[in-house]
Amino acid sequence: MPKHRLIATLLIDSGNVVQTRLFKRTNMVGSAFTAVDFFNGWTVDEIIALEISSNSDFLPRMQEIVAELSRRCFVPLSVGGKITSAEMAARYLRTGADKVVVNTAASDRSELMSEITDRFGRQCLVVSIDGRPDPAMPSGYRVVVDNARRHTERDVVAWAQEAATRGAGELMVNSTTHDGNKQGYDLELIRKVSAAVSIPVIAMGGVGQLSDFIDGISVGGADAVAAGNIFHYFEHSTKKAKETMAAAGLPVRSIGFYKVNMPRRPKYRPF
Amino acid sequence: MMTAASPPSVVVVDYGLANIQSVVNALECFTPNIRIAETGDDLAGAARIVLPGVGHFDVGMKGLRERGHVTALEAQVLDAGVPLLGICLGLQFLFEGSDEGVEPGLGWISGRIKRIEGNSVKVPHMGWSEVTCPRPSRLFAEIKAPIEFYFVHSFCAPNSGEAASLASATCAYGTEFVAAFERGNIFATQFHPEKSQLAGMKLLETFLSI
Repeated sequence: MPKHRLIATLLIDSGNVVQTRLFKRTNMVGSAFTAVDFFNGWTVDEIIALEISSNSDFLPRMQEIVAELSRRCFVPLSVGGKITSAEMAARYLRTGADKVVVNTAASDRSELMSEITDRFGRQCLVVSIDGRPDPAMPSGYRVVVDNARRHTERDVVAWAQEAATRGAGELMVNSTTHDGNKQGYDLELIRKVSAAVSIPVIAMGGVGQLSDFIDGISVGGADAVAAGNIFHYFEHSTKKAKETMAAAGLPVRSIGFYKVNMPRRPKYRPF
Repeated sequence: MMTAASPPSVVVVDYGLANIQSVVNALECFTPNIRIAETGDDLAGAARIVLPGVGHFDVGMKGLRERGHVTALEAQVLDAGVPLLGICLGLQFLFEGSDEGVEPGLGWISGRIKRIEGNSVKVPHMGWSEVTCPRPSRLFAEIKAPIEFYFVHSFCAPNSGEAASLASATCAYGTEFVAAFERGNIFATQFHPEKSQLAGMKLLETFLSI
């Protein structure tokens, strides 16, 4: 079986990595490229870059960023943020992304998912779902979109199943009450979605300490665990996260170190 | 060994599919001397050839044939002995055919590509899986197995027949399949070294220095 993945999420606003709490931008962390350079050295298994600016003309700039990220990212790179068409997905994939992440546009127009998978295969498609606790919904969670600003009539579990049926390769699940709150994942939400689908589920939102990663897998049933904020501020955090997961008996990719002479590898540079 | 003065001319085969950019990005860390071969003629003068791949077997084989890559690859790799690295679909092309389609493969390696099967395994096989090395090999000379590489595929070369006898790495998913093999100047990996972080970059570095 594939190993459980540790994923670093970069929220990108005009080329910079930012942090969010409860889906609202808080502060700038620094250059996306510097972050990816660090993650490369730190055994992260995958990188997800999400464009969250409020610019409407973000695409050319984000494509440039994806092109640069892919030059220094030697793990799978997923890219998302306001992807509304298979053509936009194609532009990111051509630029160097391995997968695309869709959220709001897939909920508004669910054919988008098959339009993408028909062209690129389901391994290319990550459907991101944001849930808000709501006792009126069968699963107890309502799907919200547009950075959690807009409610839908969808139930999270029903939507997760529909997305899986329509071709999603994996699901990424975040919670409006846990995002950036450092209290751990919304384990009930993650558990409900993981139990309802047979495709991999990525837990996202709320990691405050390394043991939260273990809970996401052991309690939440997620296949992969993602975080953003926690990785930015302490050194070797992805390595320590891996060690913590391995010590808990979870199969994770080993922290093999190879000295590779890459004379032409891109260097840090201000952007 | 490659030196700063004479970096090998690496040619990446483009047959209209796939994200060859990822492979180019990884190779660019080692050498500035990379060309993308849009047609078979562009393979002339290659010191190393990389045959990358993501996509459908038939579409890929047709692309290779239409662009004149098949005869050029035979001339360069089989006749002139230029080292070749096939990646993912690029490994599968080397066989006689694939259950994914009806097109004949290159047929350099006997055997057929099969769909991944097994109890309760998800297809595609996607993620970091451990490989083991059944025998010493040149490509894995610097790699300490068992170690994980990044896989994305729905079809595989079963660990049997000629492929098994050439395997430099195998992986168990559903059933056991060949994760990498080598025969003379022909090297191939089912996983994506360009997405397998340092271990993958080490393999690419090794391939360029063979």
